[in-house]
Amino acid sequence: MAAYKRQFYPGTTIPAKNRKKVMDPKVKLKKLRDVSMDDVVRIMGHRNPGEDYKSIHPPIQEGKEPDCPIRKLVEPIEGAKKGDRIRYIQFTDSVYFAPISPYQRAWMYLSRYRGIDTGTLSGRQIIEIRERDLEKLAKEMVDNETFDPALTGIRGATVHGHACRLDENGLMFDAWQRYVWDKNKKEVVYVKDQVAVPLDRKISVGKPASMADLKKRTTIFRADGVDMREDKEVTAYGLRIHKLRTLGGYQPFNVKDV
Amino acid sequence: MLSEPTVDYAGIPLPEVEVFSHVLLSADSTEKVLNALDPIERIRQINMTGESVPSTLNNGPAKGLPNNHSERKVIKVGGRDVELRYLVGAFYIELDVENEEMLDEAVGKIRSACETTMPRGFDLSVGRYSKYRKTLRDYK
Repeated sequence: MAAYKRQFYPGTTIPAKNRKKVMDPKVKLKKLRDVSMDDVVRIMGHRNPGEDYKSIHPPIQEGKEPDCPIRKLVEPIEGAKKGDRIRYIQFTDSVYFAPISPYQRAWMYLSRYRGIDTGTLSGRQIIEIRERDLEKLAKEMVDNETFDPALTGIRGATVHGHACRLDENGLMFDAWQRYVWDKNKKEVVYVKDQVAVPLDRKISVGKPASMADLKKRTTIFRADGVDMREDKEVTAYGLRIHKLRTLGGYQPFNVKDV
Repeated sequence: MLSEPTVDYAGIPLPEVEVFSHVLLSADSTEKVLNALDPIERIRQINMTGESVPSTLNNGPAKGLPNNHSERKVIKVGGRDVELRYLVGAFYIELDVENEEMLDEAVGKIRSACETTMPRGFDLSVGRYSKYRKTLRDYK
């Protein structure tokens, strides 16, 4: 019997294909911009660029680990080896055709990275990992196609805005105005870090994508874009899970032929 | 919207015009819209709603720092100062009219004022969207 090939997500519509793409770790996500590592570190605000990493335990190589077969089996990630603190980055994704939405972020992170803890809420997605690994991951996430300067926000607190109307410049609402619209350059510029502490200097994250482009890149099904009901396979998959969960909850003896 | 009215309750359900913007308006745009609405007769009061913009950061590690939001500022409407605390998304305009003709005339003027000042689009509807007489909440 042939080995099972992971399908990631059902469906043939654009959002369904994009969901497959972001979840498949073999697909390299397109890099659209290059925000320097120091700037990503500044936006996150956990440490100053160039500063040493603070640690919460001695390096694992010092050999003070208990004798444990699982510890021998699992290769620790770089930050764990060095005993780094666990830090976070949190993204807010607008419902207006943001390139990705929080739930798919969780699927993507879990499918692509090791040593992470991620939490999904309606409009935001937090990811916790050892600091030096976080910085690498954060840079990838800011640089690649799952980030749009106008519709994705880096927000540690007061994330409200994902379901608000956009402002006159097409930016997602932010009560703390961490990023502003640069009229001259037509770019989005961060002026505060993710918890709204003012930055020493402005950090540009580039030009927002056009709505036509975003509609091709998004993983979001919407009635005014691609309706989820237009994709029969996705609908069937949703209904199947719904049926299994409902019946499994209180009539497991009726779970047949699903 | 505020539970306390900015002017006294009319006591009768006067018509209200809801102007619901398709985008959140900047302070400058809000000023333009209000100044265009200001000379229109038979407007009893205008209430605005939108997304709240705090003056100071209200939580997180930077709690207490000033917010410095560019759109939270004092605007001039008909010579008076109005302090904006929201990124405005909708206007509720109460009209002091006595019959349908007066209503149609005022609504027409409001529509044309909005068309010139809100190029990104809006929805306009006439109805009653807030209370017009005291209720239990007003007797605390």
